[in-house]
Amino acid sequence: MISKHDLQRLSEFVWQVPREYRGDMRAPARIWADEDLLDDALQDKSVEQLINTATLPGIVKYAIAMPDLHQGYGAPVGGVFATATSDGVISPGAVGYDINCGVRVLASQVHANEIRPHLGNLATTLYRNCPSGVGVSGTVNLYGDDLDDILNRGADWTLERGYARMEDLPHTEEYGRIPYADADMVSDKAKERGRDQLGTLGAGNHFIEVDRITAIYDEDAARVLGLFENQVVVQIHCGSRGLGHQVCQDYVDRFQRVVKEYNIVLPDRELVAAPFASPEGQAYVGAMGAAANFAFANRQVLAFHIRRSFAEVLKGHVKNFDLHQVYDIAHNMAKVEDHDVEGERMQVLVHRKGATRAFGPHSPVLPDDLKEIGQPVLIPGSMGTMSFILCGTAGSMAQTFGSSCHGAGRVWSRHRAKKEIRGEKLRAEMQERGIEVRAGSLSGLAEEAPQAYKDVARVVQVVDAAGIGRRVARLEPMAVVKG
Amino acid sequence: MNRYEELDHTADWAFRAFGNDLKELFENAAYALFALEGALDAQSTLTREIRVAGIDREALLVNWLSELLFFQETKRETYQTFNITKLTETDLEATVHGAQTQPITKFIKAVTYHDLKIEQKEKSWEATVVVDV
Repeated sequence: MISKHDLQRLSEFVWQVPREYRGDMRAPARIWADEDLLDDALQDKSVEQLINTATLPGIVKYAIAMPDLHQGYGAPVGGVFATATSDGVISPGAVGYDINCGVRVLASQVHANEIRPHLGNLATTLYRNCPSGVGVSGTVNLYGDDLDDILNRGADWTLERGYARMEDLPHTEEYGRIPYADADMVSDKAKERGRDQLGTLGAGNHFIEVDRITAIYDEDAARVLGLFENQVVVQIHCGSRGLGHQVCQDYVDRFQRVVKEYNIVLPDRELVAAPFASPEGQAYVGAMGAAANFAFANRQVLAFHIRRSFAEVLKGHVKNFDLHQVYDIAHNMAKVEDHDVEGERMQVLVHRKGATRAFGPHSPVLPDDLKEIGQPVLIPGSMGTMSFILCGTAGSMAQTFGSSCHGAGRVWSRHRAKKEIRGEKLRAEMQERGIEVRAGSLSGLAEEAPQAYKDVARVVQVVDAAGIGRRVARLEPMAVVKG
Repeated sequence: MNRYEELDHTADWAFRAFGNDLKELFENAAYALFALEGALDAQSTLTREIRVAGIDREALLVNWLSELLFFQETKRETYQTFNITKLTETDLEATVHGAQTQPITKFIKAVTYHDLKIEQKEKSWEATVVVDV
């Protein structure tokens, strides 16, 4: 197994696995971490998985690991790499099963103390209005071509149907609509899995959280985003549900059949890849875009349910409870983007698995009101601890293909968490600290215990200090809703 | 012989299934999937026929387990007994018995190829599988 001695320290927070480390590497691999986070990452197969991504044909510059790096399958979680669209590959397994898993933050104008007396009721209402858990249907009935329409048009569909407000869309990555999405590239099986899942949270590490802002680090950016201390905000963490899982499954299987024809040799079959420009590669691009649109629409419908829950509970009791959209980001996605590679502007496909796009100020893809501060980056921490809002920087553009971390990153296996943590006790501890918990599964709760994760504050500190993101605000939980 | 054992994996779940022959190995891998989900207690009240293909033995195992997850999610069923009636290098046919979904404690999103191994030991077979949860 790789050890610290195999790494070159390029700067305080950047460590490099040289290309010579393994014969099949086509580029070096770089890890953004402090020494402790690096030690964590070296304990499992994360770094080996990172090195595997550096073998993919057409990779440019270097493969990247964020400070929240941990072991996944295929590409590690917290992994970023870019392949040339001209002669590089696309890998469905390096995007992951939950295509466009992501985070949305909504903000009220209310102070935390104002909603405190209504918090229990609010948590219960959110749990009731936002379907969660295993095998639970959504509240939106889809007819005829509705599903194809959602897959092709994402948030635009939700706007037409009254689930979105016009101003939500510019504050969504890609305006909530991937332009190259193609519903025809999504199998009937995937559509069958997704048909009744629009506006559902799912299970696992997905959640809705009511938070209060406990620190502002960047007053200017906070003002632009409408954030202030002690403000009540809401986070949504979920993705494309069964539809996205099936799209990934379908294309991992389809690519297994063609990988030999393209003479692509891989160290891990889960990384299976096809040339971006090939018919198979383009089919996956269309299907992935469609699954991503489903995820944008899913989080939008959940935002609609959250807004009506706030109205249901708080109307007549508190003023200014209405929620505006701060931003919505994807953290499992591959995107066609232009980046500087060895002094030249180049079109690349940036794979981000458990990593967030973090475009710096003046990026042409940002709406005018966000141009000065850069793209908001939403970082949920482990349950019951804290989360962060950051902004992208010029540093992330130069160093990490405009990418940043996505969360805390696991250190314990779910198996260990389940053995060592009791869900009832964890819930009682959170309740004692004034956090309302509504969870469908107590063993599911135990797996997400904060002890099972890295310290998100430390992860974000490294991101900030290394210049690949800038801290704007810290969030702490008031109520947690989970499947 | 144990039918399966759970293995440690930081972010996801992994298990090793055992079998005296390949058929039993594939059946026990399916059993492990539903055992990990805590979905085995129900009385079997329904039967489903499964047919899958794959480019090789490993792909066949992934597709077999994935097909069961597909039916679990779309038909809201869980399965307890698995009877493979045909197994070649690239094709599998099976009859499975289960019930309408009982409360499930955990949900497996997908079966991956990561670290996937099917090995013949002295007198038995073993398969290692990592699943995304």
